[in-house]
Amino acid sequence: MNDARERLVNCFAAVFPNLSEEEIQHATPDIVKDWDSVSNVILIGVIEEEFNTSIAIEDVEHLRTFELALHFLENKRVAAG
Amino acid sequence: MYASWLEFCSAIAVPELPKLRTSGFYVQVTMKLIDALKIISKKPRPNGNPLKASLVCGFTPLHLQTLLHAELQLRFPDRQVEIKTGLYGDIVGTLSGLRDSHQVDAVALVIEWEDLDARLGIRRLGGWDARNPGSVIEQARLYLSQLHVLLEELCRAAPIAVCLPTLPLPPFFSTAGWQSSAWEMKLKEELVSFASALSRQPRAQFVSEQRLAFLSPQAERLNVKTELEADFPYNLNHASAVAGLLSCLIQNPAPKKGLITDLDDTLWRGSAGEVGAQGVHWDLEHHSQSHGLYQQLLKTLSEEGALVAVASKNDKAAVESVFEREDLLLQKQKIFPLEVGWGSKAEAVLRILNVWNVGADSVVFVDDNPLELAEVQSQHPQAHCLQFPTNDPQAVYDLLASLRDLFGKSAISREDELRLESIRGNAAMREAAGETSNGFSETLLEQSEAELRFNLQKAADAGRALELINKTNQFNLNGRRVTEAEWQSYLQDDETFLLTAHYKDRFGALGKIAALAGRRKSSTITVEFWVMSCRAFSRRIEHQSLKFLFEKFGCGRVIFDYAQTPRNGPLRSFFAGLLKEPPTFGAASGLEITREQFAGACPKLFHHVVDLAYE
Repeated sequence: MNDARERLVNCFAAVFPNLSEEEIQHATPDIVKDWDSVSNVILIGVIEEEFNTSIAIEDVEHLRTFELALHFLENKRVAAG
Repeated sequence: MYASWLEFCSAIAVPELPKLRTSGFYVQVTMKLIDALKIISKKPRPNGNPLKASLVCGFTPLHLQTLLHAELQLRFPDRQVEIKTGLYGDIVGTLSGLRDSHQVDAVALVIEWEDLDARLGIRRLGGWDARNPGSVIEQARLYLSQLHVLLEELCRAAPIAVCLPTLPLPPFFSTAGWQSSAWEMKLKEELVSFASALSRQPRAQFVSEQRLAFLSPQAERLNVKTELEADFPYNLNHASAVAGLLSCLIQNPAPKKGLITDLDDTLWRGSAGEVGAQGVHWDLEHHSQSHGLYQQLLKTLSEEGALVAVASKNDKAAVESVFEREDLLLQKQKIFPLEVGWGSKAEAVLRILNVWNVGADSVVFVDDNPLELAEVQSQHPQAHCLQFPTNDPQAVYDLLASLRDLFGKSAISREDELRLESIRGNAAMREAAGETSNGFSETLLEQSEAELRFNLQKAADAGRALELINKTNQFNLNGRRVTEAEWQSYLQDDETFLLTAHYKDRFGALGKIAALAGRRKSSTITVEFWVMSCRAFSRRIEHQSLKFLFEKFGCGRVIFDYAQTPRNGPLRSFFAGLLKEPPTFGAASGLEITREQFAGACPKLFHHVVDLAYE
């Protein structure tokens, strides 16, 4: 598991402690019943802090699944150089 | 510096956390959200007594709730913390509900400018009405007076930790940002007036603005993005700082009991043995003002009830000469005992602890010499050892701030004023009998003219009893700690009783030094709390208290809710003396002592007993 993936798994695990590592990597709001608007705001806060980044409101839709979030963060890191 | 909060937590024992966080360590550690979530998600302790706290704020509590929950969980590791939040955007409504429900152990109230008047926020567009800023002040005044009435009432049900507005005011007033407008100052005056009036209530405590500014610079507090998108106005670091300080207020950590200080290059600059009494300094003229400030703080701590002792490798005559100087800020009579000689410092500290009859975890040791600090720390690992910085006034100033944290208390009691006097009395009593052990002879006890005043009125000494319950370790029935709200609720129960004891003898007064609380249900007396200050040991006060209980309630037996703790050996020994065997730990029905057992094992008692019910 690469570093970004592992850190993102940790973020998801903190917000959704009942999910296994395997479940986290396939997590979507449709599958995870605790993934509501409040936990989404908390998740974004955790990710922003962990990856030392700021996520704009229009980018939140890119974090609607674990894989999308990982892809978004990796692209952001590449863009930042 | 630790990489993460959890790394920090795992590097230290969690019960030590308040010690570290109130000693200058705080500034280096900010809790991360991910770590807060991990702390919260840990499985609760089985049978953990819940700690119900209410977080009241006008915005969506979100991360502040998470961080406060985690902070409280760390500070109360044996409790299962539950955080309740109130009605969205309705502080007054939430507080009214809490006032009527009596169901929380503590309230954390966070007020922001927007709560005083919506025009002071950025989420509502109604115009800032620059021509009439006075209407904002008027609205704020009305809101604060309403809040004041509510909080005064709520204080009776639960202690309240209040955080006054922390965010910058919006660009509402007509002046440029570098100028404080008269209206802005008027608004702040209203706020300070509200806080000042409420702070007279001992159960309402306020977050220190100065400490918050230290932890969270004002320019870095507001998060406009999350305020607009999620109604959460704080940056995470700011939320962490606010949560940390609120949890400090709610926990109200017990202050240290004593400070042991070195002399040369610590209490004063220079070596008394080498340069003589006139050659040591603590003033501006000799570039040694830091030592004067240190003396000044120790004098203040001593007047507030902290014990101050000296452990110094030094020439006794030289030290005596310095203490004869009238310009010394910390006079000799404020210090007891004075351990001056050439022996080991760790052994000197041990002798001081024995005279004070306190554990090493209750004291702070200050020395400029790292080697001495290391020796004391290795022999007394629970002591809080701090180095007095050399030639670094800023570091000394930081040390003084750390000491204030370690010894800080909300109010000074009569018992605080009596402490040093009673320790001296103890020593005088031993000296009179030519004794060095903790026990006193029959002759001395008989001749000490001891008087015990018992009070069964719950309201009279409830505060002092709570203080004793939450800080006593050695003579403590079960180590149980309670919050103020729990204690009030306990005492309001008609079945409960509270017995307090005030002691004095010809060597001095010890003050209110014992509390015993329990339930009286028909003829069954169950004692649930029993604590006695370590200053009062060896005087048979515990025997007289139990005798009083048997006689007052006319009962044939008393059941004790006893639990063995790592430190309640003195109480265990007392029970073993009555039972002729060590008490059983963990008996479901409690530990029982009959009147016959007590009468058969009770030594002769010499106190003159006063029942305050008849005074």
